[in-house]
Amino acid sequence: MRDPRNPFRMRASEQIASDATFLKLFAPGVLALLPTEGLFDRLHVFQSAPGGGKTSLMRLFTPTSLLTLHAYRADEDYKDLYQHLKSMGVLDDSGPRLLGVMLSCAKNYAVLEDMELEDKRKDRLLFSLLNCRIVLAALRGALDLRRLDYPDHLGRLQLNITHELSEVLGIPLSSTGEQVYEWARKIESSICQTLDSLEPSPSLSLVGHDELYASHILRPEQVMIDGAQIADRVLIMLDDVHKLARRQRECLIRALVGFRNTASVWIAERLEALSASELLDVGAIENRDYGQIINLESFWRSPSKRFETTARDIANRRARIATDVEIESFEGCLQSTLDGAEWANKFQVALETVTSRVRETADADVDNRFREWVGTLESFEGTTREKLLAWRTAEILIEREKRKQQLTFPFPFSTEDLEKKDDSAVRAAAELFLMQKLRIPYYFGFSRLVAIASSNIEQFLAVGGDLFEEAASAALIKKPHDLPPERQQKIIQKMATHWWDSELPRRIPYSRETRILIEAIARYAYWETYKPNAPYSPGVTGIAITMADREKLRNTSFLETRPDAGRLAAVIATCLAHNILEAVPNYPQGYQFWMVMYLNRLLCVHFGLPLQYGGWRPKGIDELCRWQQGGFRPPEKGEHLL
Amino acid sequence: MKVGQSQRSARWTDYVLRGRSNFAPFWKFYLRSQERHILFVLGLGFDPRMCSAIREILNQGGDGKRNCQLLVFDEGPDSPSKQHSDRVQQNREVLQQLLADQGSIREHELRMWSADGRRIGSRNAALVFRRIEDLSAYTDIIVDISALPRSIYFPLIGKLLSLLDGRQHNTSPPNLHVVVCESVDIDRLIHAEGIDDDATYLHGFSGGVDMEATAGIPRIWIPILGEDQAGELERIYDLVHPDEICPVLPFSSGDPRRGDNLILEYRQLLLDRFRVEPRNIIFASEKNPFEVYRELTKTVIQYCNSLSPLKGCKVVISTLSSKLLSLGALLTAYELRTLVGIAHVEVSGYVMPIVDPNILNNVSEELFEIWLVGECYAT
Repeated sequence: MRDPRNPFRMRASEQIASDATFLKLFAPGVLALLPTEGLFDRLHVFQSAPGGGKTSLMRLFTPTSLLTLHAYRADEDYKDLYQHLKSMGVLDDSGPRLLGVMLSCAKNYAVLEDMELEDKRKDRLLFSLLNCRIVLAALRGALDLRRLDYPDHLGRLQLNITHELSEVLGIPLSSTGEQVYEWARKIESSICQTLDSLEPSPSLSLVGHDELYASHILRPEQVMIDGAQIADRVLIMLDDVHKLARRQRECLIRALVGFRNTASVWIAERLEALSASELLDVGAIENRDYGQIINLESFWRSPSKRFETTARDIANRRARIATDVEIESFEGCLQSTLDGAEWANKFQVALETVTSRVRETADADVDNRFREWVGTLESFEGTTREKLLAWRTAEILIEREKRKQQLTFPFPFSTEDLEKKDDSAVRAAAELFLMQKLRIPYYFGFSRLVAIASSNIEQFLAVGGDLFEEAASAALIKKPHDLPPERQQKIIQKMATHWWDSELPRRIPYSRETRILIEAIARYAYWETYKPNAPYSPGVTGIAITMADREKLRNTSFLETRPDAGRLAAVIATCLAHNILEAVPNYPQGYQFWMVMYLNRLLCVHFGLPLQYGGWRPKGIDELCRWQQGGFRPPEKGEHLL
Repeated sequence: MKVGQSQRSARWTDYVLRGRSNFAPFWKFYLRSQERHILFVLGLGFDPRMCSAIREILNQGGDGKRNCQLLVFDEGPDSPSKQHSDRVQQNREVLQQLLADQGSIREHELRMWSADGRRIGSRNAALVFRRIEDLSAYTDIIVDISALPRSIYFPLIGKLLSLLDGRQHNTSPPNLHVVVCESVDIDRLIHAEGIDDDATYLHGFSGGVDMEATAGIPRIWIPILGEDQAGELERIYDLVHPDEICPVLPFSSGDPRRGDNLILEYRQLLLDRFRVEPRNIIFASEKNPFEVYRELTKTVIQYCNSLSPLKGCKVVISTLSSKLLSLGALLTAYELRTLVGIAHVEVSGYVMPIVDPNILNNVSEELFEIWLVGECYAT
């Protein structure tokens, strides 16, 4: 394959064939999401929207990645990552200490459910297919760990299994890798041929298993090569578990929970915030049967700089490997200030307008409450842009106070009052209002690019890729490659519009209904955000339903009586699964728990909304059902927008 | 594994393809040469081309039975295709009128979704004909794929080929024809909506590609490119994880720039993300499925032979273009089914804008006859 011209276009894991490139691009900060205790002692569940980074994380622990990392451990690009993994006991100076077995559940497992067989027999076939595939992947991984050829050197592998297993599976107590390979290959081949057969009836001779025996076969002390134990630990990683049929997923999780401290298993699946939690359904107990469920997006959202730091590392690593240009820092490609001379005039004109408007409002106040504020603002030192922002912030605060006048005594406000009320949220609202009114860039700079990524690495790479494309082109023809704010905003807005207009309708189910609901939420958020007093500054970017309503949307008997709610539940589930809405469940507020659903930040760009989180409004199922059918319409006697 | 050139002479090296102005004369000659008992296999859909081929064939006269197996498939309550139910009904009525005095229509309902929301249409399509005896009353089976989705006609034709190939050799097989009505104008009007999250291997055409026992063997992906399929390409890529990609572009083509335009459309995806080597691009005629078949078969065999020191390769073909080109892929995948898989992404449905009926009546349509099994191949 060709060398990467724009490395941002390579997807995190799937499209990077070389382990060395994959590791070079892997930001060690990602490892912070792994629990510090019991990492290899119990079942861990990783959930995220597509592109969240689950597969990349698992790939890191596969034998070829670990071997490559070990080989490059002295290289600057790999040193940090090596030290991180070393501290986790995954490898040391002698080499990898862990045999990671990664298997995707996106294969043909779900087809088993379509066979004309009893459920019990289907489960047995699911287990046997999983067993033989895990074992086959482990055999390959074991040879990789010793840099031996697969399957040619399987004879050097030895697996010692227990009497019981030997009898159940028909494998000798002490088998060579070749014998185990043949056993697993035959089972897999017969089941796959049956699954793909154009004939209707399945073969009766198919081998089924009662349990997930693979974890017992692969105990670290039982897997030897040339007489020596191959690794201290064996880690089984099952990716894309959500792609199993619902019943299979329950069956698998029940089996995995039953392992309890006998095997290291990680599973990764897409976030399904509205579907039943199989872990809870099978009666599993957190920290006993399984570790904490790790939601990748939630992890990145808090604390707020965590994602930014990792994203910066990811971006710089990619920028550095571009073939045609030399760009050391991606952040350096993005101008992050509007204090240049080209904006000064525009700000000056705007400043005069806003200043005279605030003065007029202050003069019109019969109680002269804002006179001191005007004085303070007039003596404010700073650039024109900073002054403009200060005056516009004060205008919002005055508007708020005017609305309170019926309820408060009309005492004049002091400078201290202004300082107290002038917080970052109001200033952010003022900046947004100015952007909207003066048409000056708002969506630019590295920090905002990170915010636009909605805590999703793939989305970050997609938006960053478009920006890098332009910067790299400029660098190629020896022009300055730091993109000005207005160009950045144009590129980002173009991408957001393309996503909304062209990508979403093609790529998701219920696309028509989804667009109606999302547009309703966005229009409602816009209506709330741009009220002159910015009541939920910096703005509204989400809605919330109570957790009780969420339960209703998961309750099939309720949904049967309310087809409109059924449609709503399906659309919301689609939005959450595709990261169109970002869910924050169990958010406590006002004696209730809520499931907050924020718009994806790329949609905030499309609809001209702020990028900060926190601004959400409660909604009921009935109202959302109405939005789902007819969209959002602001009240006729509502307030004028800015 | 090594595929010896000498051992493998491609099955459809010599073929019968009759298209455009040769379609009607072929059927006139064919039907009048002797009595023919025909079973038409059609899909019921909103596509205006649904009845074009059967109408033309019935117009050519001839003696014998003229029955129809009509596949009625429901793409689910959320399918955007639902909004075209009036057009579907119109097509049904046209078909009934066409066969009113000549034969019977038997409807076969194809379940497309399982109770827990998984797609099962592909699997059920392979069960439309279960035994060779189901075909014994006919001299000719004509599968019209004009209004059938790929996920249905691939397993359906695959099963028919398998039944006919598996028959006892002392019996003469019925002739198997595939007919298709191509129209660039109508293709431009119809758009897919809501592609599935995941690509899959078509039932009967997995080619053992996702077997773990052979997971280390190099994978070659041959996507046959058509317009507006970026989402499908990405999803199939995620399924296949290829080591090498050989895109197929249409050339010769009605629009000589079509290949260039496809490269322009997918330049970012193919060159930046998938990092395709430009020298891997394969060209195949837009209107000749047998040429596509020949090119694909040759490519698969060459790759398998070249990579035999690495224990061969697995090849995955994806058809993201016209039905004629797709048929070429089907033939290759059927013939080399232990080596080749067909990866595919389903969609929720298709939409077509409301168009003035006069415009629809005047769009250019091209009918093609592809004869796959039967007397013309008798040795």
